[in-house]
Amino acid sequence: MKNNNIRLSLFLDADLCIGCFACEIACKQEHNLPVGRRWIKVVKLGPKKVGGKLYMQFVPVHCRHCGKPACMETCPVGAISKRSDGIVLFNEERCIGCKMCLEVCPFGALQYNPEKEVVEGCNLCVERVDRGLRPICVQNCPTGALGFGDINNFLLERHKRGIKRLIEREEFI
Amino acid sequence: MEIKEIGVKRVNANVRIVRTMCDLCHCECGVLAYVQDEKVIKIEGDPNCPINEGHLCPKGLAAIQLLYHPDRIRYPLKRKGERGEGKWERISWDEALDTVTKKFREIIEKYGPESVTYSWGDAAYRNSRFTKDALLFVMNAPTHLHSDAHYCFHPVLIANRLTFGHLLTSEGSPDYRNSKCIMVWGGNPIMTHPTQGREIIIGKMNGAKLVVIDPRFTEIASKADIFLQVRPGTDDALALSMLNVIINERLYDQEFVEKWCVGFDQLKERVQAYPPKWASKITWLTEEEIIQTARLFATSKPAATHTRMGVCMSINTIQTIRAISILAAICGNLDIKGGNLIPNRPAGFKTRAEIVWKEFTLPPELENKRIGASEFPLLCSSASLGGNFCHPPSVIHAMMTGRPHPIKALWILNDLLVCLEGSKETEEGLANVDFMVGSDFFMTSTMELCDIILPPCTYLEREEVVESICTHNVIGARQRVIPLLDETRDEKEIDLEIIRRMGLKLPPHLQTLKKFYEYRVKDMGISFEYLKKKGYVAGPIFYKKYEETGFPTPSGKVELYSSILEKYGYDPLPYYQENPETPISTPELAEEYPFILITGGRHIVYYHSLGRQIPWLREILPNPNLEIHPETADQLGIKNGDWVWIEAPRGRGRVKMVAELTEAVHPKVVHAPSHWWFPEQKDPHHGVWESNINALMSNDPPYDPICGSTPLRGNLCKVYRADEK
Repeated sequence: MKNNNIRLSLFLDADLCIGCFACEIACKQEHNLPVGRRWIKVVKLGPKKVGGKLYMQFVPVHCRHCGKPACMETCPVGAISKRSDGIVLFNEERCIGCKMCLEVCPFGALQYNPEKEVVEGCNLCVERVDRGLRPICVQNCPTGALGFGDINNFLLERHKRGIKRLIEREEFI
Repeated sequence: MEIKEIGVKRVNANVRIVRTMCDLCHCECGVLAYVQDEKVIKIEGDPNCPINEGHLCPKGLAAIQLLYHPDRIRYPLKRKGERGEGKWERISWDEALDTVTKKFREIIEKYGPESVTYSWGDAAYRNSRFTKDALLFVMNAPTHLHSDAHYCFHPVLIANRLTFGHLLTSEGSPDYRNSKCIMVWGGNPIMTHPTQGREIIIGKMNGAKLVVIDPRFTEIASKADIFLQVRPGTDDALALSMLNVIINERLYDQEFVEKWCVGFDQLKERVQAYPPKWASKITWLTEEEIIQTARLFATSKPAATHTRMGVCMSINTIQTIRAISILAAICGNLDIKGGNLIPNRPAGFKTRAEIVWKEFTLPPELENKRIGASEFPLLCSSASLGGNFCHPPSVIHAMMTGRPHPIKALWILNDLLVCLEGSKETEEGLANVDFMVGSDFFMTSTMELCDIILPPCTYLEREEVVESICTHNVIGARQRVIPLLDETRDEKEIDLEIIRRMGLKLPPHLQTLKKFYEYRVKDMGISFEYLKKKGYVAGPIFYKKYEETGFPTPSGKVELYSSILEKYGYDPLPYYQENPETPISTPELAEEYPFILITGGRHIVYYHSLGRQIPWLREILPNPNLEIHPETADQLGIKNGDWVWIEAPRGRGRVKMVAELTEAVHPKVVHAPSHWWFPEQKDPHHGVWESNINALMSNDPPYDPICGSTPLRGNLCKVYRADEK
């Protein structure tokens, strides 16, 4: 497979996310982040009663390393770049702290570092990835809800699993 | 299981990795600590540890912020000025230890050894249970105060031992991974026992159905196939009606019941009074829900049952857990793969219980001087099935009244004012204690009342044998990662030093920690050094061990009809009892105080009173959140994020919390978290009276007649905006 087909990313199996916050603190420790900056943040959806049944889900919010990053397109000084494997990186030398990228990020996932006056965010633990390791949040996820790899492969797996579940459900009925 | 050895591994000239085990909750997960220039720079989970398989929770991952916290007490301190004035001076260890020794001696001579007490929380219990036991033993003092002896782990222990002789429905025993049906009753292991929460999710991925019974829609409930939102404190009614369905529909394991259970006929007769139709009115569940759940549980084999704090804090704790235990038993789930396992610790290993019973049990006439021994013999007396502890509320009353005997010296190792119900009574009681020595990482409102404070070390600074209660078969070793910071010391060394200074003698194998650790593992044919290098040893798993040994109950069988309860004059069969302060028992009180208040649901970032000073953890949960239903809040004019008062009836006062509007609770129920204090407030109260829900709880009777638990999960309250009145 050619390199330009790969899109490395984090992905979530929401059925398995238990809202334990381990990813958040693992990230804090790995990147030495103080209070106030959360490159990954667990958001609780619900609980909400739908059709008489309660539902609650957890979604970790982080940089999605988008295919066409709005932040990158907006950056006036070219401080945001995308590697050939899909990882979006923030160059703190170039960043002028204008925060325009914060405004356009649809997930609100980017963080402002007031000490250095630059924008930063999840870099997918690029140093670890380059050493052949998984991002620290993925390594620490106790249930395997957070995954890492080429998002195309993930979607294929997800598709297979979805079909498997449908079949199982049919058997159950 | 083949376990790779990594005692200590050098990464490069400056960095080494030390394998050890976390001690920030019950799970005691395997940890790899990265050390550079004798400073811990990173903590991660040990993938080779069978307990956590490489994963750590937020508490474990934030351990460095605990270790190097600027507020940690690092030197022995002596109080200057009045108690609670907040004035301290640094003293030498010699002066501190001499003072403690001298005071203990004086008080024992004057008032007898029973006037000296220790107060543990869970953390100190795990760390220094043995040495504190040793000290009390050599002083002939029977007065162990474990702040949760009457409503946490020990009621489960008592109820399980009455029924099967083993601890089976709690902690490491349920075999979630191989189960077909997991029933979690009154607990949220994802938050409280993270490794167990993970095991449940693995079990579910392997195809198990998950049943969660809780008044709150918790994290684990959100993963459930069946969630029963039971009315707080009516778990006994639900369990009895499930028994009714299972017995009347003959869904139980008839062979197991015939061969291994006693009292089935009496039980059958008893549960006829509790049909699901009756229970549906009591529990707020539908008849259909109860019947379906009972059928699912009984027809799924193997099924694993887990009971936790939610069922341990009522007026009928023991009988509730007994009813649930009986469910597990008659459906034939005991000690089978995927059921509830009898522990399989490695052969030859000296377990905690074994050591306490064998080494530190005083003669019965002394044991029976323990406060609570006459009222709660199965909790406190020489016949205790719990853990040889006093009945905590009675100890506080003894401090206040001097009856049955006064408490004159106290060594506090926990934050008693936020951890024990009846905080005001506790404060009043502590004021009457002549001499108090405290040990804690941080200055808490409880520490502020002490005379001397001795600084303990964290788990990263000490070594020991680890017997995690979140696994039924693994033992391991904690290794020292870095030298002791400043003048902190291992709690256990402090105890042994006091014993030496008091001129008391321990048997040779207990005289030093090293000898003691060797003694614990010697009969396994290994040394402590070997265990440190190896990390963990897992005992092989055997099933149906009772077929060879029987059950350690008087009859050798599962006692559905308990001969021990009968002997002590209690009802030998489980029954239903309404809590003393509910809309049903006290309807007139409920007119002014319309909500049922449940307390004490945990969050993963805090371990009891610990963690609110750790920046990364506090960021996740900055405030005590009162869970209240949006409809209810709307009627009261309360918006999400508003500060509200929670007021208890009968003059017990009020505390303040932040309203969290959530459908997780029934509109008539509110939930308040426990253990809240504010370490950032530097005055000597540290905010202990602001949001500490235990201040609203009473430590007066009525208690559960067997274990003395207080009904903390189902009292009445009213709620109003903090800017009103």
